Amino acid sequence: MREKPVPHASLAAEFLRDDLHRIFHDERLWGMRQKRDEQMHELPEWQELRQQASRLKEHTLAHLPHYLEQFEQNAKKNGIHVHWARDGAEHNRIVEGILKAHGHSSIIKSKSMITDECEMREYLEPKGITVTETDLGERIQQLDNQLPSHVVVPAVQKLTKDVAKVFAKHYHTDPAIDDPHALAEAQRNAARPVLLSGDTGMTGGNFLVAETGSFVVCTNEGNADLSANLPNLHIATLGIERLVPRMEDLGVFIRLLSRSALGSPITQYTTHFRKPKKGGEMHVILVDNGRSERLGMEDFWSSLKCIRCGACMNTCPVYRRSGGQSYGAVYSGPIGAIIDPTFNAKKFSTLPFASTMNGSCTNVCPVKIDIHDQLYKWRRILAERHEIPFVKKEIMKMAGRLLSQPKLYRLSISGTEVALKTMPRFVLYNYLNPWGKHRELPHPVKETFHSWYKKNRLKKETTAQEGTSS
Amino acid sequence: MSDKAMSARDVILGRLRAVKSKSPAEEAYPLPPIVMLGDQDASPERFESNLALMGGQMIHRQDGETVEAAIARAFPKRRNLCTAVPEVKGTLRIEDLTTHQEADTVDVMVVRAAFGVAEMGGIFLSEVELKDHLADVHLAQHLVVLLAKDELVGNMHNAYRERSEFRTAGYGVLMSGPSATADIEGVLIRGAQGVRSLSVVWA
Repeated sequence: MREKPVPHASLAAEFLRDDLHRIFHDERLWGMRQKRDEQMHELPEWQELRQQASRLKEHTLAHLPHYLEQFEQNAKKNGIHVHWARDGAEHNRIVEGILKAHGHSSIIKSKSMITDECEMREYLEPKGITVTETDLGERIQQLDNQLPSHVVVPAVQKLTKDVAKVFAKHYHTDPAIDDPHALAEAQRNAARPVLLSGDTGMTGGNFLVAETGSFVVCTNEGNADLSANLPNLHIATLGIERLVPRMEDLGVFIRLLSRSALGSPITQYTTHFRKPKKGGEMHVILVDNGRSERLGMEDFWSSLKCIRCGACMNTCPVYRRSGGQSYGAVYSGPIGAIIDPTFNAKKFSTLPFASTMNGSCTNVCPVKIDIHDQLYKWRRILAERHEIPFVKKEIMKMAGRLLSQPKLYRLSISGTEVALKTMPRFVLYNYLNPWGKHRELPHPVKETFHSWYKKNRLKKETTAQEGTSS
Repeated sequence: MSDKAMSARDVILGRLRAVKSKSPAEEAYPLPPIVMLGDQDASPERFESNLALMGGQMIHRQDGETVEAAIARAFPKRRNLCTAVPEVKGTLRIEDLTTHQEADTVDVMVVRAAFGVAEMGGIFLSEVELKDHLADVHLAQHLVVLLAKDELVGNMHNAYRERSEFRTAGYGVLMSGPSATADIEGVLIRGAQGVRSLSVVWA
């Protein structure tokens, strides 16, 4: 079956149709970006922290097999069961196996992007295993049967009234609730009994510490500490790139993570798990799922430095104005646009084009990933692999030819000026020109710079030169 | 299953070693030395202002007031009070909680933190302070934390460098204020799914 590329532009257009959603989404994310800036300005050492974070991640990735083995050895010493999963399917089978061995059939789960990446719920639920997301935003998305819209705030594309509707359907609350406090309380009340009766707890994790065999989970709602500690069985899933060498290295990352994400100094909970609780059992699943392959990609391996703060999403003008759902992927925004094609180059071939190349993503990234350069490199690869649509390709070719030949360019410019002045709208605004969909084409200028320069400066310069030489 | 897991392990490590030729070269990326950056002020004043920023509050003792009396004054409507510290008697002790359902009815929980971090207004709890009742502390409605002023560290670099608990505790949580969420329309709500409030008493 040929997979169709995600129609990012048309999905974005759908999202933009409603003014309330469009304006809220843009302003909410920009607000997070501004709060991040305030935190940055409070720390004179900000750039040093970024530099150190980047170096630590680069070092770890360059020595990944070594640190993975060190982590495994230390975690096992502390009584943690360590599993390895080549891909999402293997991860899901491991989880299923652990539950079966205990005769368990329900999971209470805190937010983790990687279990979404593995499509774990989709695998387990038909097998009679109930998975309950306990993070508010992730739960809203689960009930509404949608992928997370954002790596930190999964339901950011929804307004209070949308959440009220979802909760009315599933929690039987009043659909007219207009107060986020009341809805958050409804989630607390709905989650508590499920948490108290859950037989397996699952979390993701932000960091693995090689030297101690610990893993760290950074959250705000308290649901992760409840999910991990209430049942006697705790399973944590983390990508193999999540490692840091030493306990002290966490200082750098914890100081950057929530400041970059939400603009708060730290998450409310920074939880360090080093061994199972008394009478409990703990499993860590290390997932590859394409990461080892990405590490071998010269242009893209550094995307594995990502700590999933979402700063690049909050600052991206395209993401803010198109919404996470339009990316059709677990990871959206600029970071999604550079890692999604490594999972499926055809399906996500449109995403590297969802950028204006302004470079803001790169500038806010706490681990200094060259996101916009990688977007550009993906465009080139996708064009070479013929993964971009015919119209875009042909126009790019024409532009390339035009821009490389000054005379032809000038000729076409004067032609364009005439066209903009005289052509009827339907010729200028049609499917060949998606740029003109929500914008007016520039007003034709009376005179191009080149012709003005030729008339004025060039003449004067020539006269002046003539003057000096005589 | 373990055979399969073993082989997955070897496959992944093998893949990682195989991509070595193209992936970042080991010698090009040496391990950077540990850094201690930024403000390392460990003063109670810095802790207090950051605790407030994270939505926590201080319970200040009046002259000659005991910790117990100060907490009682802060929670006049408490239905019950569960304690993990000798300074406070309360209505029940954390060691006596036998089920999570029972912990779910706790109104005010009092614990002592191993240490605090001034930069984050954060307090550190492990299985030692919680007497192995790891989940129960998060089920309570309100949390009161006793903290000694001389157990403060400046920032997170100091915390990881100077506190041995990160290497000894099985479970160690650094809590900065109460549970919170901003998942609905960005409205900040203090008191999400864990404790609804977090108060600190110098003691």
